Amino acid sequence: MSRWANGISRLLIGLAALAAVGCAHGDTASAAEGRLYPSGPPNGVAYLRFVNLTPHEVTITSSAAKIAIPAEPGQRVREFDPVPPGVELTGSAQFGEASKPIDVKLAANEFATAAVVNDGADGIAVMVFRETPSDFNALKSSLGLFNADKACTDAQLVAGENHQPVITDVASGKIGRRQVNPVNADLAVMCGSSGPAVQAKLGQLNAGDRYSIFVVAGVSGADIVAQRDEQAPLRP
Amino acid sequence: MNGLLAGLAILVIGDSHMVTNGYLITTLHDDLLAQGAKVDTYGMCGANAGDWVYPTTVQCGRAERIGKAGAEIDRKPNVPTYQIDALLAKTHPNLVVIEMGDTMAGYGQKALPQAWIYQQVHALTSRIAAKNIACVWVGPPWGSEGTSFHKTFERVKEMSEFLSTAVAPCKFIDSTQFSKPGEWPTIDGQHLTASGYRAWGADIARSLDHVVPQLAQKP
Repeated sequence: MSRWANGISRLLIGLAALAAVGCAHGDTASAAEGRLYPSGPPNGVAYLRFVNLTPHEVTITSSAAKIAIPAEPGQRVREFDPVPPGVELTGSAQFGEASKPIDVKLAANEFATAAVVNDGADGIAVMVFRETPSDFNALKSSLGLFNADKACTDAQLVAGENHQPVITDVASGKIGRRQVNPVNADLAVMCGSSGPAVQAKLGQLNAGDRYSIFVVAGVSGADIVAQRDEQAPLRP
Repeated sequence: MNGLLAGLAILVIGDSHMVTNGYLITTLHDDLLAQGAKVDTYGMCGANAGDWVYPTTVQCGRAERIGKAGAEIDRKPNVPTYQIDALLAKTHPNLVVIEMGDTMAGYGQKALPQAWIYQQVHALTSRIAAKNIACVWVGPPWGSEGTSFHKTFERVKEMSEFLSTAVAPCKFIDSTQFSKPGEWPTIDGQHLTASGYRAWGADIARSLDHVVPQLAQKP
């Protein structure tokens, strides 16, 4: 994680922590009495990441820090940062003069992806994808299909030359997810069942790892951003 | 016992169930020694799996027992955590036995914190797998309900089922199979009485005897 990224992560968590302290007194004081130590993260945990799906660098800003997310492959998708649940996390995404607010409040164990996408009106928009996954398995790989293309009404993730369906019918703004065996699959994304198939290059899938495949509006149809997920550890 | 543990170098690590004389640092350690294994046991009270990977401190003590020596228990607060890489380099094990679950199961919380647990577990198992060392993960026992630890049978079952899919490439030993819920009494909801630790240690050792032949061990 870069120094800037650390900065904004700490900032979001720091802002949230002030509110979280207030909540904790009411909710967990009795639970803490007589306990030698907590079991699990004391106030729960949620996860938030930022993704740049535009063709240009964007910045994410809060009142105390700013990070730039490049548009280069391999740098567009940031890692999931642990954040306190039940607390408003605010900021904004900017490109040039255009700015869009980010305001999310997550439940415990929820994952949110704030994706900055190209928007026809002023060049920028933010789509927030939310899920509470329950498919953590060290023997399988988990594939998430994030449809960030307004024009793609039903995204499909397919495998092999015969386009075997893997994840089907994911509406714009939604996520589809499926566990698969950790293989080196030839994956592609289609919009609808008869559209052109655009390759989603992930290579050899690792057992226990999770992957994100984003469907992005391109110049001539959908583009794909595909990457293995990273999750920053929750440390005191 | 089939004698398959004889001659193995076994590193045992765990949570508070390993940090008091008479707990697993005594019973399991003795049972493995009796089968002819070379055994080193390390325990950290209140530690999560990630605490064995990312240096931090623990608040309620740590303990170690090397071979046939007695346990050395350090109850000072803010004691530094043992680190798995250093222990692997020091003890050169053929097999690592990890006993952990109670500190991560989110007792008292509405939902099992799956993502966080998975990350903690994966952080630890991947360090062991990177050295091609066989490992076995021992899940939590039933404990008792209605105490300040907020441990419930339902959550223990849920946690055990989750660990069974999360700990690969380690094999999983499900401690809930050793007794009925509430059969092993506890002193505080979580920590067993002396007879419970004797039974748990013996059951783990018996299970290892069956699991070890399935493991690819580093020579």
